[in-house]
Amino acid sequence: MNARETAWRVFATELNSSTLEIKATEEKAPSYIVSPLGAKINRVLIAGVLTEKEKMEFGDDVAWKGRIQDVSGSFFINIGKYQPEASAAIADIEAPSFVAAVGRVRAYTTDDQRVFVSVRPENIVNISETVRKEWVLETAKSTWRRLSNTKRVLSMGDATQEDLVKAGMTPTEAFGITYALDNYGQMPDSALYLRTIQAALRTLLPDRDVDLGFPEDLSNEPDEIDMPEENGNNGSNGAQIEELILNLLEELDTDGKGAPREELERRAEAEGISSIELEEVSNILMDKGLVYEPNLRYLKRI
Amino acid sequence: MEMEELTPHIQELQRVLGDKIDEDQIVEELNKYLNEYHVGIDAAKRGIIRKYGGSDTMGFVTGNTLTKKIGELTGSEQNVDITAKVVFVDTKDITVKGLPKKIVSGILGDETATASFTIWEPGAMVLAKGSVYNFRNCYCKTWNDKVQINIGSRGRIEVADGVRIDLPERQISASPTEVKIGNIKDGMGSVTVTGKVISVEAREITARGEQKTVYSGMLADDTGKIQFSAWSDFGIKEGESLCISNAYIRSWKGIPQLNMGDRCEVSRVDAITEIIDTSANKKTVDEITRIGGGLDITLEGLVVDVRQGSGIIRRCPQCNRSMLNGACTTHGMVEGVMDLRLKVVLDDGTGAIGAIINRADTEKLTGITLQAAQGLAAVKGESVVGREITGKILMKRIRVTGNVMSDDYGPSIIIKSAENVEIDLEAEANKLLEEVEAAI
Repeated sequence: MNARETAWRVFATELNSSTLEIKATEEKAPSYIVSPLGAKINRVLIAGVLTEKEKMEFGDDVAWKGRIQDVSGSFFINIGKYQPEASAAIADIEAPSFVAAVGRVRAYTTDDQRVFVSVRPENIVNISETVRKEWVLETAKSTWRRLSNTKRVLSMGDATQEDLVKAGMTPTEAFGITYALDNYGQMPDSALYLRTIQAALRTLLPDRDVDLGFPEDLSNEPDEIDMPEENGNNGSNGAQIEELILNLLEELDTDGKGAPREELERRAEAEGISSIELEEVSNILMDKGLVYEPNLRYLKRI
Repeated sequence: MEMEELTPHIQELQRVLGDKIDEDQIVEELNKYLNEYHVGIDAAKRGIIRKYGGSDTMGFVTGNTLTKKIGELTGSEQNVDITAKVVFVDTKDITVKGLPKKIVSGILGDETATASFTIWEPGAMVLAKGSVYNFRNCYCKTWNDKVQINIGSRGRIEVADGVRIDLPERQISASPTEVKIGNIKDGMGSVTVTGKVISVEAREITARGEQKTVYSGMLADDTGKIQFSAWSDFGIKEGESLCISNAYIRSWKGIPQLNMGDRCEVSRVDAITEIIDTSANKKTVDEITRIGGGLDITLEGLVVDVRQGSGIIRRCPQCNRSMLNGACTTHGMVEGVMDLRLKVVLDDGTGAIGAIINRADTEKLTGITLQAAQGLAAVKGESVVGREITGKILMKRIRVTGNVMSDDYGPSIIIKSAENVEIDLEAEANKLLEEVEAAI
């Protein structure tokens, strides 16, 4: 069944501390990021303050990047030409203002193996402060559920996913938590999420002195995220990248079968082109009829 | 691929195609498939045989046929031989691309299992119920997770002389599970339920050329309600409480329905006082997705996407279906009737579901009436109306009630009523605070 992926309600702290990916093995199958609390995320619903937006132009194409700040961190958003509705919408949205966005998540791994997660909004709209608070409440509840589920699983010893479903979790939750605990190799930092929930409750209940015992500390967001678009040598000219890729394709096509993907990715990376960007450029080249895929592992110049 | 590696394949192709093609042609074709289009060797051979062998190609049919028992079928077999007994067989008239066509379908069984089958090009052969045949070159598909055997134009059927198959006794009534209506799921076999008859009516239908009366209606308990159909007269009356045993579950578009067949037994029980209130039949999207569908389900979530086909649409005056590019798919070019509707995606954080919202509720949720929309469209165009309406509904929290069903694209809900939801933020936040404080 090709059911639409759920839009997870997660705070930036949880999304930005996710480093685990489940990559699609089949064509058209979705990829996921699994958070330390076991959210198996393909799509998110985020809300907060759009603190900055920047327009980037590549020839005829326009792309946007920006940041949305929630209660204790920032989401990094990227909007390209494959998100036409969001692209049209963000042009008219002022920073700062309250926004909500729904989009797919993407993880980028830097050279020094740090993982950054960004969101590609399919829809982004201005919202009222009330709607923003509703999101904070819903996300706090959902974060708390994941956190308490994780604690329960840790206290249950060797529980199988079936045991967890019997204990009241949904199959998706049971899978996510098991996968996260098995693969992160360490316990989630519960203080980080409790502090985020504390910040959320302080936003929601300004008149109550909410104190869960955590010092206010907003410094838990990553430093400037290195988006591929920011790499100096490719942001300037799409045509240059296309030319470079075409040349690489020819060079790597040693046996007439086309250029092996992995090799191409490695070489492109060395030229400062990320795999994401390579994918986009090869899509553009395929659209232009300059290259084709003899099969999934190869790309060939026509 | 080098020439010597190709030799066995060339020989195989020659063996299969005989004098329909000479060796040079084979080499030329293989070269085209393998080196120009970079197609794998198996696909290349299949393509060449198709191209030169016509439809009746014994060769590639026997190439990799498997023989399987029905219980071993996975539903992905492309070419499989099955020896089985005809449990049930019937001829059906269907319409394919506007033309009437006869097909034969029924149920096949062997020692391991039973499965439905369809013969798409029935010849002169008439299958007899209870006889055993060899079904050759069948292909299988799955429908609702059940394997179906198909005998297409390449398939052949032979009488299996002297083969005897004893089917295991069907154990339908063995142990019907007693279930609550709210827990009934697609794919459940035999069940026993206790519930109150909300409604019942007799309908005349024609099944396999026979007039029949079916008694159908709605049954409810404290967990949910379900549509039932009784195929014989159990004297069911509205308002009475029944224990129905040995009924079976069939689903229509993911909505489970209770069927009362020959083996079903009905007994009157003490009046059930607690039955579900539809407003309380609230589920999460995840819950209803796992069930597959249901009637009068209430969901709450955020509108995360507005799909094409929202806003002003035109409906065919004859069939009321929405038109595409000024034409009705059934009635052609007609003068459409203007209507307003929304096709959205509702997401509650546990799952996402498609929702279709009618005119009245669209007007209520967006505050834009059809009249206002038409006025705006006249001035600024219909696409502006679409954007305006999208802006009013996107990221809004709504509560909807309607019937949920599922298909390949996931679940969807046809909405009977919809309303905006307001949350008591302070109360909810205080509740969460208490819960967190108590736990840490």
